[in-house]
Amino acid sequence: MAWNKVAVVGASLIKFGELFEQSYEQMAAGAFEGAIASVDKGFDPTQVEAAFVATQRGTLWGQEGIGGNTVPSALGISGIACTRIENACPSGSDAFRVGAMAVASGVHDVVLVIGVEKMRDKSAEEGLLSRAAAGHPIFTRGETAPVLFAPFATRHMHEFGTTREMLASVAVKNHYNGARDPFAHFQNEITIDDVLKSAPVCHPLHLLDCCPQTDGAAAVLLVNADRAEEFTDNPVFVAGFGVATDHPYLHEKSTFTAMTATTAAAERAYKMAGVGPDQIDSAEVHDCFTITEILDIEDLGFVEKGKGGIASLEGETAINGRIPINTSGGLLAKGHPIGATGVAQITECWWQLRGQAEQRQAEMRNGYALQHNVGGRGSGVAVVNILTNRR
Amino acid sequence: MCGADEDVLTLAAAAALRALEAAGIDPGLVDGLWWGTSRPPFAEGPSHAVLAAALGLSPHAAGALSSGSAHAGIEALLGAADAIAAGSARLALVVAADSVLPGPGTGFEARSGAGAVAYVLGVDDGNATIGTRITRSRPFLDRYRGDREETLRDLYDPRLFREEVFLPLTREVGGQLAALEPTAWSLPDPDGRLGAVLSKNLADGGAAASAPVYAAIGDAGAAAALLGAASALDAQGVVAALAYGGGRATGVILTADAAVPGAAGILDALSGGKPTTYAAVLRARGLLVKTGETVDMGVPPESAMFVRGADEMLQLLGARCGDCGTINTPPSIHPHCIACGGTKFELIPLARHGIVHTFVINHTMPEPFEAPLPLAVIDLDDGARVMLQVAGDGVGLEIGSEMELVLRRYAYERGVPVYGYKALLVATETEEA
Repeated sequence: MAWNKVAVVGASLIKFGELFEQSYEQMAAGAFEGAIASVDKGFDPTQVEAAFVATQRGTLWGQEGIGGNTVPSALGISGIACTRIENACPSGSDAFRVGAMAVASGVHDVVLVIGVEKMRDKSAEEGLLSRAAAGHPIFTRGETAPVLFAPFATRHMHEFGTTREMLASVAVKNHYNGARDPFAHFQNEITIDDVLKSAPVCHPLHLLDCCPQTDGAAAVLLVNADRAEEFTDNPVFVAGFGVATDHPYLHEKSTFTAMTATTAAAERAYKMAGVGPDQIDSAEVHDCFTITEILDIEDLGFVEKGKGGIASLEGETAINGRIPINTSGGLLAKGHPIGATGVAQITECWWQLRGQAEQRQAEMRNGYALQHNVGGRGSGVAVVNILTNRR
Repeated sequence: MCGADEDVLTLAAAAALRALEAAGIDPGLVDGLWWGTSRPPFAEGPSHAVLAAALGLSPHAAGALSSGSAHAGIEALLGAADAIAAGSARLALVVAADSVLPGPGTGFEARSGAGAVAYVLGVDDGNATIGTRITRSRPFLDRYRGDREETLRDLYDPRLFREEVFLPLTREVGGQLAALEPTAWSLPDPDGRLGAVLSKNLADGGAAASAPVYAAIGDAGAAAALLGAASALDAQGVVAALAYGGGRATGVILTADAAVPGAAGILDALSGGKPTTYAAVLRARGLLVKTGETVDMGVPPESAMFVRGADEMLQLLGARCGDCGTINTPPSIHPHCIACGGTKFELIPLARHGIVHTFVINHTMPEPFEAPLPLAVIDLDDGARVMLQVAGDGVGLEIGSEMELVLRRYAYERGVPVYGYKALLVATETEEA
């Protein structure tokens, strides 16, 4: 029996990309205004009682003083309760979970969950690459983001015979989907050959195995399920969620062929929602790198362990495949503005469950969509949210 | 010359660990460290303390750091011998290490090298003894480096140096040592010609034992005299070691009753160099720096984290769980065992050898990193798992590769060298063939 205490009545994102012309505040306002406009029966912004803001790298990207409790001011609703949620790459999905708990607790009836990230106000070198020098001076030094994932690829290839073509097929599929998503950073299709011949970034990952650095924002409106009909006749409910952690350092991982935080978070979410992976109709999963999506679909139970590569190559995860994955284009094509990513994934699930995904619409047989992020020194924390259109 | 991530301290550590191993000595039993290098890694600072910690010496270990010229190595040896003679130390570790940093364009630039050698001195049970010593000095600016100057100046007048200082001093000292009838000589050869002149004068025209050392690594400054002498201690005999630097010439007689453990492997250890380019040399010497932003270390090298983490980083320590035996690294961030949650730990030095479980080769690094930078997750022989940078470009690295862990300089930031361990691919038999 799904949890269903909280309804999603509005959701939107802004067009992701290198938004040099937009400020952090302007991106947030764009996402909020889009979410308001998406509410079927109209929405008065002053109804928002509390906001949960996901911004992950405020201090890195030069937003030390903002990126949290100043957001309501930019949205024209200054004075409401507002809390910043930072939980690494799952910041957006965790803000959604916390927002849902705030509503379910009865403290608030109407909550805004908004994710905003400005990643391109700094150069690539001063941005993510500079993380190479962060953390422990010896045991983490030199670990740029790809280093946190590429060792899993090396080992997955070694143990299961996963090939670079299989990895590449994930990027090809997600770019195909992104080309059909008006909000995606990249809207061009690519070939397996394009991926194989792209520049090496971190062996065995090449440039097109990696997501870009993207600016973006996304927002969803949550209400008490008992009040959903005030806003829409076509609500989506929060069926369940799960969060789990793992040891932070790579040398402490128990395995390099799975991300145990994902497995544990999924188990908790499935139990809460009362469903299993077979009942999920489509999923937005964390594909910061091609190998990550292959691990995700195995760890979430969609394919057998070790078969993620071949399943991707054979089209099982395409929009018309057995289990459509990342219909929005995923992080690889839509982009990964960290705090906004999870909220944008929720938006895609919302569209899929309401039949509004247009060219990307998957067949929703059971009425369940799953959203997943993993991050925090790569795979230190995972969040899974499950949504449903079934009461 | 040495690699960009090596310096006088990492070279000294490598030589000292080999010497202690050859002598079969537990580092914790050493009473003092006498270290000679023309240019310590900190112009003022904890050079001696960092090296002692990296070697796992007792925090009570005594000793001294000699520096300031190529004469520093022999000063360290004689200082340690004096401490033994005085009874203030029973077991002394002597390290002479240098990486000569010539000014670009100076006459001796191409000849400047790097190297290190270590001696273990005891009271009475060694195969060799330290005997007569003689010093002759004359105030003279030879390869001078002023305060706040980065590189060595060229000789003002090479003929003046040769005729008025170098040859008179070394001939006087060498002449007195010759009376003791040495069977082998270690002679200074700062320019590639003076060594041969001295050989002619002192060794009856025979080649000095130090000649192969110079041929292999060039002029290793303060390490040169003791390297040449150590290589000659591989058999019974009387070795005359003569060092010159900073207007001082000192000679000492070393008498071996039998081969000194470790001496026979020295020339082998110095072989195996790789060709390089002048640009790479300048870059490794820190004289060619790219323009633009560099990425600062996340944690300042002067900060508390480096105080808390000094021992575990320099000695590569792990914390073995008293309940389940799992080794947690690094200890300072693991109050609870990652496997069982236990809180009883024993600090242990990690094994320095292991096998690659998985790896990456990072091609996209900001300054001051250099790409490609391989990193590997390594299962050590004691069951601990670490993830560390791999020295070199990663060619040949694969799952299952055999690695050894070596001390390297991780960063040089705000004038502060930061040391830690990197993994080095152990050459396999197939690769050698």
